[in-house]
Amino acid sequence: MRKVAIIGGGATRCGKREATWRELVQEAGKEMFENVDNISPKNIEALLVGAAQPERFVFQVHVAPMVAEYLGITPKKVIATTELMCASGQAAIRYAWACIASGMVDVAVAFGVEKMYMPDMAEAQTNMTCVLDREWDGVNGLSAPPFFAMTAQRHMLEYGTTKEQMALVSVKNHHYSTMNPLAQFQKEVTVESVLKSPMVAPPLSLFDCSGITDGAAGVIMVPAESAKKYTDTPMYLIGSGQASIGNVVNNLASITEWVPLKLAVEETVRTAKITLKDIDIAELHDCFTISEIMEYEAFGWAKKGEGGKFIKNGEPYIGGTIAVNPRGGLLGCGHPLGATAILQALDVLQQFRGEVPKGRYVSDAEIAVTHNLSGAANVHSLLAYSRN
Amino acid sequence: MKKIRIEKIKRKETIKLPYMLDFYPLEDEKNTRISQFFGKLREGHLTTTKCKKCGKVLWPPRIVCSSCFSDDLEWIDLGTEGELYAFTEMRLGAPLGFEEDVPFCIGIVKISGLSISARIDNAKYEDLKIGQKVQLKVVELDDGRVFYRFDAVK
Repeated sequence: MRKVAIIGGGATRCGKREATWRELVQEAGKEMFENVDNISPKNIEALLVGAAQPERFVFQVHVAPMVAEYLGITPKKVIATTELMCASGQAAIRYAWACIASGMVDVAVAFGVEKMYMPDMAEAQTNMTCVLDREWDGVNGLSAPPFFAMTAQRHMLEYGTTKEQMALVSVKNHHYSTMNPLAQFQKEVTVESVLKSPMVAPPLSLFDCSGITDGAAGVIMVPAESAKKYTDTPMYLIGSGQASIGNVVNNLASITEWVPLKLAVEETVRTAKITLKDIDIAELHDCFTISEIMEYEAFGWAKKGEGGKFIKNGEPYIGGTIAVNPRGGLLGCGHPLGATAILQALDVLQQFRGEVPKGRYVSDAEIAVTHNLSGAANVHSLLAYSRN
Repeated sequence: MKKIRIEKIKRKETIKLPYMLDFYPLEDEKNTRISQFFGKLREGHLTTTKCKKCGKVLWPPRIVCSSCFSDDLEWIDLGTEGELYAFTEMRLGAPLGFEEDVPFCIGIVKISGLSISARIDNAKYEDLKIGQKVQLKVVELDDGRVFYRFDAVK
């Protein structure tokens, strides 16, 4: 297995964009190629495109060749779209990584794009309700907010987690996103404003939920041994973990404990040959405030049931036990499904390079993890990156 | 320069909700091999499949056991009374076809050892409690298809 590096990339601004899916692709692609020296579209041998549901949001399938066409890429080794709902972008990075690690490919692009704003937003909500098993869960109206609302309800009942503690996650991530020019949300929120925001599915209010977002991003990946030909400051993929248990509600390992995440964390620290203490930055999948609280617990930074106290005590802020989501998270940056993991990777790269504003800069960071969950939190995907 | 004429073309204003956007499954024997589930549901029975070889109770109903791959399965009755494990209410973000129902309650119901998601009728969110008893209810669509929900027992 060859070690693999990310040498750079680019992204669009995220949010409700007055732009089509094709235009998001072009914006991010231009940024990506202009940000990396000594490489052109002609050098790209593999293109993996993370796209969760272009067939529903923009009524288009076979999208990887469209990205290739718009960016002037003519892949000669591998081209495909990768779909794993909210982790689709991470799937693109993982497959690009495998292509390079195996020796099959020398230069790959992992791209991600989602256009989620539609003229009729009920149609967008329809798309988001066929993520869980459509005939047995979706049919009951079980899209992500009601599912995570029930997760939050059980966590509150079993462990005494409060709505105020959940709101604090939103406060933290919106705080960091005000310092991220790519972020969808540029304003601070307070515990009070989170609690007063419109109820989506109790106990989750609007600011407990990540947004509907348009956005695209891409990174260029090469074998570690050739990374310095392109940049003095690449970052390296050093480990990963991914686990999936069950799909319909009945077959999940547990509602209040994310067993697949614990397995993915174990595999990630094992393959990266690190310990939890070595991790300086954690970009975690805060699709809802309760998600981040449960992630503190699954990683082991907080004891089971004490994720609420962990945020109350300020532990996941920069300077605390672990800097969680200094990018601004999904809550602050938005969640353009296929692009999210690529945006996380790009931000880690900028952290390692010291290119982020001071207020959200994690100084001397050496190791970062990025995490995406998908579906009913039955699938968890993790990547570990290092600066050296 | 010759003026280019703009011709207006007509398209149907509305179309029937297409299958692709219908959350309810196709139920008859021409479309599924578990049509018995829906037939029994019409008679007031919530059922699922159990593997006769390894004894695994499978939800949702299957044609092949995911534990031992036997296709020798039998239908078992899950009863009509369950208990709420968790619940919430859809207030914002309902999909097409459900917008008229907002707000509506959704729960995870414990029934005969299974945990299944379902619409919870006959109650507002504020009236529901974890552990509350719920009673099987069958709803029928305009086209005759049926599906299960639960009524909160007051």
